[in-house]
Amino acid sequence: MSTVLTQGIINVTSDCRACDHCTSICPTGAISGLLGQRHKIDHNLCINCGQCLINCPFGRIEDASMVDLVKKALADPSKFVIVQEAPAVRVALGEEFGLEPGTNVKNKMYAALRRLGFKKVYDTEFTADLTIMEEGTELIGRVYGALGVKGYENKGPLPQFTSCCPAWIKYAEDKYPKIIPYLSTAKSPQQMFGAISKTYLPTKLNVNPANIYSVSVMPCTAKKAECNRPEFISSGYQDVDAVITTRELAALIKEKGIDFNKLPAEEADKFIGASTGAATIFGVSGGVMEAALRTAYEILSGSTLDEVDLKAVRGLQSVREASVEIPVKALGKALPVNVAIVTGTKHVDKLIEDVLAGRSKYHFIEVMNCPGGCINGGGQPIRREMH
Amino acid sequence: MVVGSPSEEKCIRREIKMKFFGEREGMTRRQFFKGAGMLTVSAIFLGAFSKLGFDAFAASTDYIEKRAAGLYALDEKMAIRKSHENPEIAQIYKDFLSPGEVKPVSEKAHHLLHTKYGKDIPNFITELKSKQNEAA
Amino acid sequence: MSNIKGKVLKHGTQTRTMHWVHLIAFTILGLTGIAFYWNIDIIGNIFGGFANASLIHRWAGVVFTVGPALYILLNFDRFSRFIDTISNFSKEDFQWLKVMGGYIPFIKVDEAPPQDKYNAGQKMLGWMIIFGCILIILTGFPMWLWRHSLPAAFLGFCYDIHFWTAMIMILLVGGHFFLAAIHPKSRVEFSSMMLDGYIDAEISAHHNAKWFAELKEAD
Repeated sequence: MSTVLTQGIINVTSDCRACDHCTSICPTGAISGLLGQRHKIDHNLCINCGQCLINCPFGRIEDASMVDLVKKALADPSKFVIVQEAPAVRVALGEEFGLEPGTNVKNKMYAALRRLGFKKVYDTEFTADLTIMEEGTELIGRVYGALGVKGYENKGPLPQFTSCCPAWIKYAEDKYPKIIPYLSTAKSPQQMFGAISKTYLPTKLNVNPANIYSVSVMPCTAKKAECNRPEFISSGYQDVDAVITTRELAALIKEKGIDFNKLPAEEADKFIGASTGAATIFGVSGGVMEAALRTAYEILSGSTLDEVDLKAVRGLQSVREASVEIPVKALGKALPVNVAIVTGTKHVDKLIEDVLAGRSKYHFIEVMNCPGGCINGGGQPIRREMH
Repeated sequence: MVVGSPSEEKCIRREIKMKFFGEREGMTRRQFFKGAGMLTVSAIFLGAFSKLGFDAFAASTDYIEKRAAGLYALDEKMAIRKSHENPEIAQIYKDFLSPGEVKPVSEKAHHLLHTKYGKDIPNFITELKSKQNEAA
Repeated sequence: MSNIKGKVLKHGTQTRTMHWVHLIAFTILGLTGIAFYWNIDIIGNIFGGFANASLIHRWAGVVFTVGPALYILLNFDRFSRFIDTISNFSKEDFQWLKVMGGYIPFIKVDEAPPQDKYNAGQKMLGWMIIFGCILIILTGFPMWLWRHSLPAAFLGFCYDIHFWTAMIMILLVGGHFFLAAIHPKSRVEFSSMMLDGYIDAEISAHHNAKWFAELKEAD
């Protein structure tokens, strides 16, 4: 389908400095090479997370680029090019234009994308909300199934693992095929957006789905591999056509000569552009968990959740756990939901072995490959400064 | 020999103390401690330099916290903070995924929004393709 | 003209041994380091591939560190005397620097000002080599021992310092080699450091007049 998959997303350039720092970063041991030797990446083992790339002291690791595809599509008048941006992009894109990390440039980003020639600007946060609906419902089904509630048989085993992170998915597939039944079947927000953008959106906008070119801006290099996976064709086309990273978007904006900091604040287009705070925090480790718990609590209890901030699941430690009491109306009793949050696939092995041995007490486990979540993804601006 | 030049013999005698074996004898306890102290100090310097560098640059990962704080701040500013309250989510279910109602994991949602992993993928693709052929 | 006869011992056995060890280690380090920086396969292959070259580089680095350290440990007094000499910049030293000791062909000098055991240029070289070695050693070991745990930015910083210091050192040592072994005015010093340690008293009286006077006094 694409050259990206055959050549691998992440590659060490030929002028590798051989400092051997990356071998300790790589969660799968895909990088080979001794100190002093030019390093190499085994693409069968590599999960495309790009952590080595942003942590290379010399910037000698590169990711495959689809920028040319995007430029070609933007220049093609027959194509209806639409774009989605992940939550983590909006707090990091500004860094490429001299802003502090964490500055929210969401509305300027929408404006910049329109000026780059995208016909419609949407938001991955919309499908993040959709993911919560689907994944949350799936989780409720599994919990009911485990409790023996009628009508919820064969919903799948517990605990349920999140499936938003393509690096984690590839890790699970490669290293722990037995864990696959535990993964949520919900697609990642990016792929949900792809499928929706070529089925639902054309009915609303009256365009031919064949002409839609769906681009996504991601903080992630693994998303490039994900969009090229052969099974993501449920819309009848390749669901997402091209993925560019935060860095590549910044380069595009600079190349076009757009003065980013002077852009007006604009909003996303309607139908699949609205988002909620729950979707915004998808970009940080623990965010999917928090968003899912907010919705699950209200749906299961039928009452309003007063304290929206679930501080128990926040933080940047690599493995965190929490227990939340949810009063379930349908069962007439309170249910303790045990959750775990893992950031850095290196740290997930023990949890997986517990799950496979049947020792796990958790109901829902969030796994994000990059330390800290998508905000520290392989496609984010690279920071080398000394404080 | 001209007056004023140090005799060869004397020069050698003066320096002979410095020769390898002579030195060993000449190395006093005090001298040893001086030298050992100096080596220790250099080792401490090496450790201190690394620690200093580590601290100076460890702070360079602050950006992760700042970005996280940025997202949480943005979340607090949002008018709607729960996924199921998103009006467009309700709309897509009512208009498209589960016509007339908000019912996640409907048949259409399952087809469009769910996937399979690992060795299930080849069969899954055939399934998807046959469905699309039916629809066509 | 030769009215001063005999020989003077300028460098003791240990000094000469240390100099040799340092020289060999430095040459190996320099060659392998250059091979790493510019990815020069030929040099890498001489040392048995880059992985082996790196191993050699690291252990030569240990020799490069331990050699002088051991020397200082065993000859602390001599080392402090050396530091004392090279940190003492007198009026004559500055005058010497003004005329570059008469080594530069187009600066005409009748007679360079009298010098200590080391002339002003050698004193400066001494300091630069001491500081250069400290920088190279300080940045080198973290890159080897703690490469997995140090922040990437610090590793990059170490790498840059290591490389630029090494480059300057290679140039300095190149100049040092030229003056000590090739330049007709000073190559007479070659044997005093590389071979038996002795130098003609006459040359010493001419090049290091102050030191020679001190020797005479001690006599």
